Amino acid sequence: MVTQSGMSLSSGRVRPGKPVGARDTRGYRAFTVFNTAALVVVSLLMLYPFVTVLAQSFSSPGAIKAGMVSFWPVGFNLETYRAVAQDQMFWTSYRNTVVYTLVGTTVAMVLTTTFAFVISKRHLRGRGVLIGIAVFTMFFNGGLVPNYVLISSLGLKNTMWAVVLPGAVSVFNLLVMKSFFENLPQELEEAAQIDGLGWFGIFGRIVLPLSKAVLATMVLFYSVAYWNDWFAAFLYLDKNDLFPVTLFLRNLIAGASTTASEGAAAVGSTTQAVSANIQAVTMILTIVPIVCVYPFVQRFFVSGVMLGSVKG
Amino acid sequence: MKRDLTPRAHRRPWQLGTAALAATSMLLLAACGGDGGEEDGAGTENTEGSMSGFAADQQFKATEPVDFSILWTDWPDLPIKDSWRIFDEIAERTNVTLEPTNIPFSDATEKRSLLISAGDAPDIIPLVYTGEDAPFVSSGAVLPMSDYVDLMPNFEKYVQEWDLGGMIDNLRQDDGKYYMVPGLQEVSVPVFSMILRKDVFDEVGAPVPETWDELRDALVKIKEKHPDSYPLADGFEGQSMLNYAAHAFGTVGGWGFGNGTFWDEEAGEFTYAATSDGYKEMVEYFHGLVEDGLLDPESLTATSDGSTDELSEKVANSAVFAASGASGTVVEFQTALQAADPDAEFELVQIAPPGGPAGQVVEPRNFWHGFMISAEAKDDPNFVAMVQFLDWLYYSPDARELLRWGIEGETYTKDADGTITIDPEYSLDAFNINPDGKTDLQKDLGFSTFLAEATESRALKESYNSDQFVEYMDRVLESRTPREPFPPAPLDDAELEQASLLSTPLKDSVDTNTLKFVLGDRPLSEWDAYVTELEGQNLQGYLDLINGAQQRFAEKN
Repeated sequence: MVTQSGMSLSSGRVRPGKPVGARDTRGYRAFTVFNTAALVVVSLLMLYPFVTVLAQSFSSPGAIKAGMVSFWPVGFNLETYRAVAQDQMFWTSYRNTVVYTLVGTTVAMVLTTTFAFVISKRHLRGRGVLIGIAVFTMFFNGGLVPNYVLISSLGLKNTMWAVVLPGAVSVFNLLVMKSFFENLPQELEEAAQIDGLGWFGIFGRIVLPLSKAVLATMVLFYSVAYWNDWFAAFLYLDKNDLFPVTLFLRNLIAGASTTASEGAAAVGSTTQAVSANIQAVTMILTIVPIVCVYPFVQRFFVSGVMLGSVKG
Repeated sequence: MKRDLTPRAHRRPWQLGTAALAATSMLLLAACGGDGGEEDGAGTENTEGSMSGFAADQQFKATEPVDFSILWTDWPDLPIKDSWRIFDEIAERTNVTLEPTNIPFSDATEKRSLLISAGDAPDIIPLVYTGEDAPFVSSGAVLPMSDYVDLMPNFEKYVQEWDLGGMIDNLRQDDGKYYMVPGLQEVSVPVFSMILRKDVFDEVGAPVPETWDELRDALVKIKEKHPDSYPLADGFEGQSMLNYAAHAFGTVGGWGFGNGTFWDEEAGEFTYAATSDGYKEMVEYFHGLVEDGLLDPESLTATSDGSTDELSEKVANSAVFAASGASGTVVEFQTALQAADPDAEFELVQIAPPGGPAGQVVEPRNFWHGFMISAEAKDDPNFVAMVQFLDWLYYSPDARELLRWGIEGETYTKDADGTITIDPEYSLDAFNINPDGKTDLQKDLGFSTFLAEATESRALKESYNSDQFVEYMDRVLESRTPREPFPPAPLDDAELEQASLLSTPLKDSVDTNTLKFVLGDRPLSEWDAYVTELEGQNLQGYLDLINGAQQRFAEKN
């Protein structure tokens, strides 16, 4: 949802490419009006659930139960924020998420940029094989149990690396980055070589500084992916104090609907439904940091994606 | 070529990238399962730490300190803490240190399957409901527990004392063994039944209904007095009400529909529940209620997602006076009624499921969740000690009390006639007991968790439940007969798959049409057409499959 609304908002703001010198025809003006209206409506649709959850997080549990909360908090209440903030487990998970995201993004960026740079060199022998190996994993994978056995036999279970490494090279990101590198002017590298730079130097001092746009985009992609990931953690981690906040949140939300079947309902004696209020508070606290990242990388984000895909 | 400016030596480091991709070889590692189940009682020579002559009701204590790993499901509102007293106390009494592997409640079953399939499961796998062992039988990933029950004196004693032997036999899989041992319940009553506003029933002069016909009469009277209301509602998409009503009509339905088969005692074979006369009668009955505006049609269709909020609201607004629910629902209704009007006077009771044409019948007696043991544990030198320990933990009266109430003399006291009283210092919020206590038995000390509910005597059940629930339990036990359980018809792997291919579309048709008939979207005159539709979905083939399995099992055992 976050990605979607971010994109639609931004495309709403980007100035429509008016034909230079041409006067606005009636049709074009109508189109602009319609376009703006449609995008505003879509943006609002995307924003609505977000706003509701935000409102719920500040509302009293009673008001939520009665279905009175839609856009604005009813029965203003900060108590739940206080309660969740005092939950030790929440902060442990939160810290884990931050660590996994930072480490994961760093590792992923190192691996992806270096790999992409290599396979962007057309003269490299065996380049096709390297690309093939990567692309192969887009279509086939070992499946759940073999993957689990792999991670577990590598001794990665119950470590941060089980969460970080499996997602470290996203083939999609890799290919975007590869085509970006391919489009850098060849002459720059040649000039650098003549001036005595080796491949590491070219990569570190010429290519990377010129690729800020795509790098920022990839950092965003990776960090959002790591931040939101719960499945790897669910599979490979068995200790509460290693769980990321997403897993904590998922458990909380599932706990709220335990009575979905009779078997579970009967267990109701040991669990009390977690109120919508607590869920909302946890959700808000969980997404706020990653949402805050967006405005800072927004400008890279738009130009970066365009550069990687269209140009060339 | 102008590209050949590249010095060769510089290329090499980049080739390292390939190493990272060597991971593709992982496919080869998919090996799971074991060879368990062939040699009977194998592993019984692994007696290190076990007690010789361990007998029922005796304190188990390993002769040397041992560690056992255990799968532990984590509820969001009850996160496990290493500091929990329960682990220390168990270690002190038995010399056994439990090492939990945490799995979040949200996806507990998936994670459990994964761990078992990957051969990575902890020794002890608790929280297994009856039938959940079936998928792991053929892989041999879990032990056939029936081979080891002779190591479990407490289990054998209480199976006999509580007359559960016949039900144990129903747990057997196709190979005649059972792979999980269940939690034993001295008494079991339906968790869900009907909750009603007794004051409103009294007001119109209707008695607490003992049968569905009496209920109908009462609803008619209430409707006269409150014409704008729908006096009856379900709140669980009809699934709950059909479940407990079906037994009274001599069939199965709703949550209890299971695989849809119903044992016909006279014919000695399984028939399909949803084409039976009993089922038709039940559908007709509920259709009658809907037609006369006595049953809230919205409550049968609105998705509940397990929340009773909407229903509570209707109860609070006096739009509904009787609804399905469990003891927890009573509290929810109470809260809602009080929230709507702090001075409201009302009386909510959970009543025994009404009887019907089939008599005052309720669901069959139940086991509760039990445990499985991972196949690898059999090679553990402490294997026998592990089985003895589990027998003590799950079935001995001392352990049951420990798991529920904690430590006698510290967290609770027990007087001469066995009445348990919680120490004023402690609380048990989950059951609203002594809420002023400083330390919570459950959240702070780890007692009264899922382990506590597995095996319970009647007295223990009564010790922590509300008076209202105890009353309900007594009422059900004295006035209702549990239906006889069906004979087992365990399927082998290929049959299981075939059965689910056949039964899923059948059940979908049944669910859809049941709702249509009840709501009046499809006239009951089309009942025969509906039966023909089901037959067109190879109903007979499905029944033959089940009946074949039943006969095969009966011959073998």
